[in-house]
Amino acid sequence: MASLQLTGLTKFYGKRRGVENVSLDIPDQEFLTVFGPAGAGKTTTLNLIAGIVTPNQGSVRIGTRVVDSLEPADRNVAMVFESYALYPQLTVYQNMVFPLKSPKHRLPAQEAERRVHHFAGMLKIDHLLNRPIQALSNGQRQRTALGRALVRQPDLFLMDEPLSHLDAKLRHSMRAELKEMRDQLGTTTIYVTHDYLEAMSLGDRVAVINHGQILQLGAPDEVYFRPATVEVAQLFGDPEINIVEAKIQRKHREAIRLQMLGEDWSASVPEDIGRMLDALSSDTIQVGFRPADVEIAADGKTGFHGVVYSFEPLGTKSVLTIDSVGGQRVRALVDGHRTFQVDRRVNFSVSTRALIFFDRDNARYLARSSQTEEEYSHG
Amino acid sequence: MAELGLKRLTKVYTQAQPPAVDQLDLAINDGEFVALLGPSGCGKSTTLRMVAGLESVTNGEIRVGGKLVNHVHPKDRGVGLAFENYALYPPLKVRENLAFNLKAHGVNGKEIAKRVKEIARTLRIEELLDLKPAVLSSGQKQRVNMARAMVRRPAVLLLDEPLSHLDARLRVELRTEIKRLHAEQRFTTVIVTHDQLEAMALADRIAVMNEGKLQQFDTPLEVFNHPANEFVAGFLGEPPMNIFRAVVDSGQLIIPDTQFSLPLSTFLENRLGPRKEVKLGIRPWGIRISATEAEGSFVGKIAVVENLGDETRVGVRYGEILLMSSIPVTKRYQPGQQVYLSFNDEDLNLFDVSNGARLSDRENERDSDRWENRDVAHLR
Repeated sequence: MASLQLTGLTKFYGKRRGVENVSLDIPDQEFLTVFGPAGAGKTTTLNLIAGIVTPNQGSVRIGTRVVDSLEPADRNVAMVFESYALYPQLTVYQNMVFPLKSPKHRLPAQEAERRVHHFAGMLKIDHLLNRPIQALSNGQRQRTALGRALVRQPDLFLMDEPLSHLDAKLRHSMRAELKEMRDQLGTTTIYVTHDYLEAMSLGDRVAVINHGQILQLGAPDEVYFRPATVEVAQLFGDPEINIVEAKIQRKHREAIRLQMLGEDWSASVPEDIGRMLDALSSDTIQVGFRPADVEIAADGKTGFHGVVYSFEPLGTKSVLTIDSVGGQRVRALVDGHRTFQVDRRVNFSVSTRALIFFDRDNARYLARSSQTEEEYSHG
Repeated sequence: MAELGLKRLTKVYTQAQPPAVDQLDLAINDGEFVALLGPSGCGKSTTLRMVAGLESVTNGEIRVGGKLVNHVHPKDRGVGLAFENYALYPPLKVRENLAFNLKAHGVNGKEIAKRVKEIARTLRIEELLDLKPAVLSSGQKQRVNMARAMVRRPAVLLLDEPLSHLDARLRVELRTEIKRLHAEQRFTTVIVTHDQLEAMALADRIAVMNEGKLQQFDTPLEVFNHPANEFVAGFLGEPPMNIFRAVVDSGQLIIPDTQFSLPLSTFLENRLGPRKEVKLGIRPWGIRISATEAEGSFVGKIAVVENLGDETRVGVRYGEILLMSSIPVTKRYQPGQQVYLSFNDEDLNLFDVSNGARLSDRENERDSDRWENRDVAHLR
């Protein structure tokens, strides 16, 4: 068990930036997800921590030890890869006990056996210990790989997309199971993923990374409801958040008048946000709202006007794509039991409290019009 | 455009193995969009390849516009096929790629130019016409690929996993475009996909396949709400339907290892008949969770909470079963918290333990589409 500190980590592959100036402070036992699209620098970060890749600059500290000069094998970190690299002809038990027979981690046979049984029980694979890997399901292999990493009792767990090759259905249940096990791991974990659901579900905090740089570090709700930039906002959510330009026409204390989607709209916002928008030098901003926050007006009159471009039912929900009067395309997530005809006129509204305001020029977060967490009741 | 009919269509590769496609019957209407959906190896791609003429037919019939085409050369069947991998000719410009097959069919130059222009406008690739495939993004390539299949004005358009190689964002965008395109053009279209959301979003009807056999052929909502068997129930829906075994004991339906025991309502009795054992299925959003006890609710302890932004999922563990539910995001729960679960009998799916078939009250089920009436407001 240990904390992890990354300071100014930079790695270039020739001229290509792997990561640049990555600093992270991860307390003992935190589960941190590192999330970003392909090529963002996630795996490079992980490899730098493991010592597989040497940085051009910066430092890695695990617990109280600076490990920059240590070989990967001496850092006491355990990696769980996407491909499990289990020995297929060996049994679950033999795979799990394997690290405890290596010179570095050798344990007395009895202690080794006790540990394997302990972690197999925790991972609910104790009934499979005598089965060969070939005979296991994907989920069971996943657990075995986790178990093999756990028996060493490493300071740090590094996981590189461990669920990404599973089919969608299994991925959802494995994610939930992994989350359930998470607290029992009791080990500081860095978990790399390109799947925003995994990042949000599993992480105590999420480090959003792209182009080799950390875009935001925060609790899942924070990155989802208060994204640092338009780019971060777009990386979370399916379908993607709607981002439209809006012109602030008149600002009062509690109501702003916005021109967006080709129409004029009065939106009431908290006083401090009204003041903040007042103080902006530009009268144009970017406004973000998620498809789930678009409501189709039942009366067919109020709100914004548009025409149905496409309607895609997904079961409990459907995606409705609307061409607004202003020409921008807006996506709405609607009840699965409602149906819409293409080219039909619809009216829609956006809940004011769901609006996220971004700077027009640098696309940085300005404000969100509600304190989301406070609206939630407990139990 | 035309209807496509498959009658007892069968493909056997080797006698040692079960048929890749086993007596498949599908009647696809003119202008209809049908998805062949199933896991890898279910026979969906083999079916498509037989229709395209790339694979011989062991048994059965393929009819395009009523005409038997089993032995008709692929290029004369009137089908247009767009593959998962693009197979565009790299040295040729997009315009030439589109024109290629028309030229081969002896269409005159003026007509080719007109059709290429038309299809390019439809698929919004006009600005790409003078580029070579190498410089196109994968989304652009996919549109060119579809344009090439459509430019011949096929009677039936066949799409083989057209979106599976794209990143999530592009996949959603292109899915919308394909749906829109079909609404405008009404091509008879068959898409092969393993992605249930793609099938639901695009298709008028979905043919769910498994192990070479047709499992169900119906509208997306019907397949989703009234799955014909346990396989279909488990294959569609994210998060997946909770499915577990239950036994009948002294007037109750009991789920072993849990505190669940349901009194045998008329709903349950009508479906159970004389059975003493059954598989129960309930979708995650059919389960309600509350911190307070109510009549007929079941106690449980929260094992997992997933806050996913627009959605919150809560898992309650009973032995080997992790029961997942999808709840309003405005409710917040903690792992370890004691809660009470409840659901309506009507949201239960019952499946036969021996063959997985849906146990339905056929007289009432199909007509009364409960889904229309229930309150799903929290799922916005």
